[in-house]
Amino acid sequence: MSDITPWGERAPAPQPRPTPLDLTPSRPVYDGKLGELYGIYLRHLTLMVLTLGWSRFWGRTRLRRYLWNHVSVLGDRFEYRGRGIELLVGFVLVLAVLGIWAGLMWLVWEVGFEAHAIPGFGFMNLFYLSIVFIGIPLAFVGQYAGLRYKLSRTRWRGIRCGMAGSAWAYGGLATLLNMANAVTGRLLTPLVSVSLARPRISHAFFGTQRFDFAGSAGDIYGRYLGYYFLNVFVWILAIGLAVAAVIAGGMQLGFTAEEVEKLVTAPSLRTGLLLIAALVVLYIVFGLMILPLRCWWQAYLLRYLVARTRAGNVLFASAISTRQMWGFMVLNYLIVVLTLGLGWPWVMHRTLRLIARELWIYGAPQGAAIGQPPQRGPRFGEGLLDMFDVTGF
Amino acid sequence: MVARARYYDGKVALAREVTVRPASHELVIVDAADSSVVARWPASELIVLGDTGHEKAPPVARRGEEGRLVIDDAGLRRQLAGTMPPLAALGRPRPAALPRIALFGATLAAAVGLFWLAVDVGSGYVAPYVPYELQRRLGESVAEDLAGDQPLCQGRAGLAAINGLASRLARAADYPHPVNVRIVKGGPVNAFTLPGGILVFYSDLIDLTRDGNELAGVLAHEMGHVAHYHAIKGLARQFGIEQLLKAMTGGFSDLGTVGAGGSLLLALRNGRGFERDADATAVELLEKLGLRADGVSRFFERMLEKQPVDMASVIGIWSSHPPTAERVAATRRPATGASAFSDAQWKALRSVCGSTEPIPPARPGAKPSAPLPPTNRL
Repeated sequence: MSDITPWGERAPAPQPRPTPLDLTPSRPVYDGKLGELYGIYLRHLTLMVLTLGWSRFWGRTRLRRYLWNHVSVLGDRFEYRGRGIELLVGFVLVLAVLGIWAGLMWLVWEVGFEAHAIPGFGFMNLFYLSIVFIGIPLAFVGQYAGLRYKLSRTRWRGIRCGMAGSAWAYGGLATLLNMANAVTGRLLTPLVSVSLARPRISHAFFGTQRFDFAGSAGDIYGRYLGYYFLNVFVWILAIGLAVAAVIAGGMQLGFTAEEVEKLVTAPSLRTGLLLIAALVVLYIVFGLMILPLRCWWQAYLLRYLVARTRAGNVLFASAISTRQMWGFMVLNYLIVVLTLGLGWPWVMHRTLRLIARELWIYGAPQGAAIGQPPQRGPRFGEGLLDMFDVTGF
Repeated sequence: MVARARYYDGKVALAREVTVRPASHELVIVDAADSSVVARWPASELIVLGDTGHEKAPPVARRGEEGRLVIDDAGLRRQLAGTMPPLAALGRPRPAALPRIALFGATLAAAVGLFWLAVDVGSGYVAPYVPYELQRRLGESVAEDLAGDQPLCQGRAGLAAINGLASRLARAADYPHPVNVRIVKGGPVNAFTLPGGILVFYSDLIDLTRDGNELAGVLAHEMGHVAHYHAIKGLARQFGIEQLLKAMTGGFSDLGTVGAGGSLLLALRNGRGFERDADATAVELLEKLGLRADGVSRFFERMLEKQPVDMASVIGIWSSHPPTAERVAATRRPATGASAFSDAQWKALRSVCGSTEPIPPARPGAKPSAPLPPTNRL
């Protein structure tokens, strides 16, 4: 066989066959026990009541230590080495920043409002208003900073994780995108989801190994639009059904127009309570029709985001189903709310078991090439996150 | 003795299967495959990170280094702990879940109970010592919130009559601060007490009363609230409940909604207790001044006539007041004693709203963030 191609070029030398990528699938293993988790949680709650909440930094740290160390990937457990004092310092720092902000607002009040006072609008009103105004961006900043803190205190195989990028840039981006989404009737949701997942995934690292995210909103827009209009359709259907049921029910019971008018114009407390009960029932019925749709979309989105994530040669996938998403979003919510928070460890336990069941990891990291990250991570904890109460654990 | 474990050197993300040989002065970590020595950690520099109560396998490290030795086998950990004192923490048994849950569950219940008791009893003791000026300013700002857009009645003789009786009742109750009764033109048929001895009556209520003794009964009831510092106590309790809920729920924002429902129920329960106290004190104060005390129950009967279906007994625990029939029974007294108002005073009170004037706006900035719970309405 000749080395010359029909076009007179020399054929490239045959490449050595690439070694096939190791894509052995594995899943994380969670071996925590609900009873043990409850022991830690109840101790935490007791201390919370006795210290009026100031022990929460230490309690949260203990819970994390338990959860982290009971999850292992490829046989190696995670290690959480954060300290309660770090969270406390972060919280106090944010308090100080808010104090400075209050001082600034006081100056604004003195200069801008004192002279031409608006009746009923005091300094505290101005301060609260400004907090609401800056609160949403700050909550996003806090989310990112909190993730950074948690990652920087997480080790696997002795190697620290971390997060690069600016929390403020993320906060600004998240605020803008969410505002844009709100004014466009939530039609930008895929764009928002992907654009906010990107910095959080691609800025994360394990040692010197970065994560990559290859998602793009275009991939999921078709599915989203289907979900969106199906949702609108189901709402219209549900409202139509409800109105029809009320009218039909009213006629059946023989209500006359005057009686209805009287009911509306001179409502008694009893009709008010009945009305509230009816609204609750309607809400639940709506929920039964609309929440599964929502879970369907969320499960799809999560599967997409996970599948587009990569860490070096390690790939990820998830087969989370709509039903599992229902258990995660709706059931977990109901458990926490209906138990007044006492169900929280159960929810955490369920969540970690779900992750262990539905997160697939393909391949193993090339450990010899992954070193300790050069940066140490933030010195203090998630103050902002704590302030705005958006933290899960 | 040889213990099998995993060793991470803290430099690269590799896990090495190793065996561990404890000695008196050092821990020798040996590769499980080729028996080469991986590391020698001096006993004096060994530390256990975390504990068996939280970590499933607490990592062992050399002080100041990032390498880790993780021993997953509990039996081997115990053996190692027995041989090397610095690793004693590895051998501690993991606390059993059930006794722990029972212990902390019981402690938690006791702590919540104690906290609640402290708030319940403590608020009663603390309330009188809240600076009067603070109470009064708070009261003024709430008055503006609740009735700020309705005009105040200005009949001088009528206001003097009702304030005069209020002051006598206050002295009888040993209330050390001035009281101030205002009458707002219009409805609803109601009266309420605010912090700082501020009493607000609606003129519709005065119109409903048949004689001065009924009005005196209502005034005495409100003075009962004043004398017991119910407004401030209610605030203190609500604050206490909020703190407790915050601690209990550990900062779940969604729980705020459910928690608010719970604290509302508690506030209402408070409300019913306060009303019973105020009713009892009302009769007591009137009798102490030698005045007719039958006005209290007669006014409740008047309310029942006006609204035969008593909402308080229909909605039960959701009511801020006890059932009216119960209150009538508890406050019924014979029609003996002096009249609370002279005929001239009563006449002046009936026409107290002849001339009206809007309440001047309260100082900006004195507005509280949350309105008072409606515990001390009539």
